[in-house]
Amino acid sequence: MATDREVLRDLWDGKLPVCFVLNDEEVCDLQTPEAFYLMVPRLSYFPLVWDKVRKHFIKHVHADHHDMEMWLDYNGTPLKWHYPIGLLFDLYAYDTQLPWTLTVHFEKFPENILLHCGSREVVESHFMSTLKEADALKHKGQVMNTMQKRDHNQLWLGLQNDKFDQFWSVNKKLMDTSSTDGEFKHIPFRIYCSDEGPFIQKLVKPFTEDSQPKLLQNLIEEIFPDTCKQVCVITHGIELSLDVPLQWMSEHMSYPDNFLHLCIVSNTS
Amino acid sequence: MATETEDTAPTKPAENKCEEADEPGSPTDKEKQLSRKSKSNITLFFHATGNTPILKKRKMIVEATRKIAYVSSFLRRYLRLTAAESLFLYINQAFSPSLDQTIENLFECFGTDGVLNVHYSTSQAWG
Repeated sequence: MATDREVLRDLWDGKLPVCFVLNDEEVCDLQTPEAFYLMVPRLSYFPLVWDKVRKHFIKHVHADHHDMEMWLDYNGTPLKWHYPIGLLFDLYAYDTQLPWTLTVHFEKFPENILLHCGSREVVESHFMSTLKEADALKHKGQVMNTMQKRDHNQLWLGLQNDKFDQFWSVNKKLMDTSSTDGEFKHIPFRIYCSDEGPFIQKLVKPFTEDSQPKLLQNLIEEIFPDTCKQVCVITHGIELSLDVPLQWMSEHMSYPDNFLHLCIVSNTS
Repeated sequence: MATETEDTAPTKPAENKCEEADEPGSPTDKEKQLSRKSKSNITLFFHATGNTPILKKRKMIVEATRKIAYVSSFLRRYLRLTAAESLFLYINQAFSPSLDQTIENLFECFGTDGVLNVHYSTSQAWG
């Protein structure tokens, strides 16, 4: 079970300053509206924090577009709302100066790139599905299946309302390894390379066949058997040491959806 | 889950080799059964859940790089669902994969006996 509580708390408290600006072409006033600034939790999702942004900009766009779905881009890359905010930043903007400037759109929804998100319920169902998938990898889904509906709600409400204790009082059950000899069956992780493309997800056990704990280095070697170059792995804005044990990482550095979201950047040094 | 994004409505369903198929083996010891090298084509088995009609052709071979959205839009056309009707897909009888998840990732993690079992339903089945 997760024991290094300070780590959990520090990651939970991670926030990013974001500067939202309306796409020039969509401004229907004579004057460009002022930018809108927000501190957003890294672990959250944009649709959970952008109500105020929408309210701020909607009066400056043409009335025909008032019912349109809002979406964001960074430097021309549309941002997937179903990725956690911290992951999007690490993936596309890791070396950018803060605040992180994002462009707000109401028109020309990029159907081929983004999923639609009509309401918070869509985010909730995505989040709960991802949690179930992670539990299927860790405990064959047994923990999520034996939880009551109110536990599921508590996970969601804890994340939505930024309540660390509420979330972790239930999430600790998902991180529990006391009945499985201190290890998960498999480590839920997704690896993202900065050059677009889909993420990589595979079955990786936390221990080797002779019961040695696997390290991040071992994971990288399993996923990229042919690369010999050094890679730099980033999550939560932190460059990870390659000798971190996978089991510890999974318990302490997973996002609330219980997946490790790891970004690979090629090492230039 | 009625929304679809990538790979919408391919116009040539004949490309998907569909065959009659028997019930696939029971899901045990998936790791031993999985081939270690990545495959370029992956076999899907469809299982109807709830009141959803059973497909005559239950097997589909699909490129590994395709996304779940592709399978979803294929099934929607095959079942002749209208835009207003929902279609839920489930892996492991447990969770709905994200529409932009690749078939390859799902097969790597949840494939059994060389196939990926996909349950489908027009009503919500597993939360």
